Amino acid sequence: MNKTLLSIVVATSIVFCAQTHAAVYADFPITVKNYTGEKIHSESFAGQMARHSLHNSVKKLISKGADVEKTRAYFNGKAAGRAIIDPVSKDGFPVLQTQVDELSSGKNLSSKAYKGLITGMPGGLTGAELLELMIDKAAQTENGYDPLTGYDYTQLVSKFTMGAVFYNQAVDVYLDEKLAANTAPNNEAYEEGAAYTGKEHVWDEAFGYFGAPAHTLELTAEDVYLIAKQAPEGFTKADYNGDGKVSLETEMAYAHAYYAAGFDKGGKTQYLHTIVQSFVDGRKLIASANGEALSGGQRSELIGYAKVIKTQWQRLIAEAVFKYAGSVYGDIEKLETIIEANGDAGKAYRSYVKHWGELKGFALSLEAGGVNLGETGVKLNRLLGYSPVLLGNTQVVALVDGKFIQSSSVSLSEYRVQMIKLQKLMIDAFGVETRSKDVTANLAELVNALGDALAAEND
Amino acid sequence: MMDWLFEFIQSWFAELAGLVSQGNKRVFVGYLLSAAMIAVVWLMWQRRLKFLSAIGCLFQRNLWWTSSSRSDYQVMVLNQAVMLLLSPLLLSKLALATALFYGLNDWITRPLWSLELSVFWASVIFTSCLFVVDDASRYYLHRLMHRWPALWAFHRVHHTAQSLTPFTVLRTHPMEGVLFGLRSTMVQGLMIGLFVFLLGDRVTLLSLLGANVFTAVFNLLGANLRHSPVPISYGKALERWFISPAQHQIHHSQASKHWDRNFGVVLAVWDRLGNTLEYGSNKQQLTYGLPDQKPNEHQLVTLYWQPFKSCWCCFQRNKPNTISQAQQVRHDK
Repeated sequence: MNKTLLSIVVATSIVFCAQTHAAVYADFPITVKNYTGEKIHSESFAGQMARHSLHNSVKKLISKGADVEKTRAYFNGKAAGRAIIDPVSKDGFPVLQTQVDELSSGKNLSSKAYKGLITGMPGGLTGAELLELMIDKAAQTENGYDPLTGYDYTQLVSKFTMGAVFYNQAVDVYLDEKLAANTAPNNEAYEEGAAYTGKEHVWDEAFGYFGAPAHTLELTAEDVYLIAKQAPEGFTKADYNGDGKVSLETEMAYAHAYYAAGFDKGGKTQYLHTIVQSFVDGRKLIASANGEALSGGQRSELIGYAKVIKTQWQRLIAEAVFKYAGSVYGDIEKLETIIEANGDAGKAYRSYVKHWGELKGFALSLEAGGVNLGETGVKLNRLLGYSPVLLGNTQVVALVDGKFIQSSSVSLSEYRVQMIKLQKLMIDAFGVETRSKDVTANLAELVNALGDALAAEND
Repeated sequence: MMDWLFEFIQSWFAELAGLVSQGNKRVFVGYLLSAAMIAVVWLMWQRRLKFLSAIGCLFQRNLWWTSSSRSDYQVMVLNQAVMLLLSPLLLSKLALATALFYGLNDWITRPLWSLELSVFWASVIFTSCLFVVDDASRYYLHRLMHRWPALWAFHRVHHTAQSLTPFTVLRTHPMEGVLFGLRSTMVQGLMIGLFVFLLGDRVTLLSLLGANVFTAVFNLLGANLRHSPVPISYGKALERWFISPAQHQIHHSQASKHWDRNFGVVLAVWDRLGNTLEYGSNKQQLTYGLPDQKPNEHQLVTLYWQPFKSCWCCFQRNKPNTISQAQQVRHDK
């Protein structure tokens, strides 16, 4: 009787534990045949998390006016001993790792940056070359801000790194060519002695680049947002293993996962959970192959999950373009009002340049997704231009001998109207749904305020 | 199918409940109560009635339960279902406003003076302009309804009411309801598109009880007495500017001398400009309805079907089955 009872309790506990952890991107079994190492789980994305810490650190360095060698040490360098500059422990939000090497050694950002042509900026540069140019330029400015060209390098470098490195690597490499049958096969270890198969690691790397905590599906979008912000109220949500510190490898939120949480917490969209759910489902599918080569059906299913991730990720970036186009629109309205009243436009101009940098960084990211944007890309670049329209109605038009050249442009007012068109383009081309900072939102609000005309009242 | 039917019936009941519970509807319970209070005070003051007599005068069975008023209620209930079915097919206010907003941004540059207006003044100007343009468009469409035989065929449904109660405002043929809906969509869509283009997110609707503040005040001041037997006149000085209940009752008069008069809703200026203004009187005694009205015109089938037949005849040569009030006026003269 006691044995029966014990068996029920044990069985129930196992089922309960399995259900509890079913939604976490963790504890996947080792399926590599004849594995002799000491690891007990196969998932591995520490290298991607190291790159997230490098990206955060580069952003912080530029904003603090660091010299170019220091910034490049994080962008291009692979040397040991680099301290993580961001994220670091804060009151109420201690983090576990303080060195990049504690996450993964020998990692940088430049080697993984998009090597294709970027048409949204002058000079015919690749994604990697453009980032390096901007890092050099940033070092020549005060804290990454160049009022003469209207470039906020902190924002430009950060947002475009997210696109040119994380988004590009995930959707154009790991979820694309590396899902081919004869690339990184599932019936072989990814590399000699590895605890994971080729397909397992390909999938893990893509997941890592998204920047979501492994236990995202047990969190709300609001929770993930607070974690990325390192808010004290987000600490208990982040500390999944309860060790009193937030692991930058498995418990932190970064980059596009943070933006997905930001959009989703409004309740209109589910980017974060849709993407992470697809990653979890795909990883379970690969694990279920138990170290054998994926069948045609399994690979098709996996490509289906990849397609969901790619579509949602692209739309999420388009949401950011939409949002910052709205911010830029609002900034220009403020600028026009101040200029009309002969006021001091300094603060408003700084805000305009900052938002434009975010807008441009995300817009350039769309080019790095391995998809030819076609007419949408042309329209996007023409509406946005190579720089914000400056107060004298000029705009950057070329890059000559490493210098940005300006010429006359549309007026500030016309440029404001182009932001409306840009928002419409994001709706038409990508179907954005959150629509933060929607310039036309007031139209819907007024229509709602006036109500319907169903009553058929006579007079 | 059953799910759809269930949802439809739910929406239908919700719309019916909304008629008396939402402040943007004329027969909202608050407006009905305010109208009743005004009517009681007016009857006690002008007709020297005691309070209970005034109440009794307002709530007579031969006013609220005549064949005319019963058909008002039937039309009101059925129209909500018809309009619910038709509404997805109608032009969207938001689509029109958005198209105009994009169009204006493409065609012209927003004037810089618009940036100087505060949220308060932007909203005052928007709400006022919307009210005035809306009122003018109601006048013009109403006038057309009386002057074009094909439209009169439908509008006469409203004029076949022989006893006026506040619910007579909803005695409308669905085709006319569609025209009213389109008018409202055009005016509100265009005004919203224009003002958001000019003033951006500083524009808000100044509202009271969920309606345009001017419309709400108009309704609170006894708009429902327009369709009632209580002939409150404002006096000539005020009736030059605002349509009184007595003036609208003249509009419903069976006497040919009153035909095609007082098309306005709130403002009387449109009637003055269109030479259709008629002053009211506290002592007026009118018979409502149409002189050529047939006994079966309060039957639901007749109310809904006859206008289509009459309208069709308007487009058939040698079969002038219906003529507008205006044509009748000219004929009588």
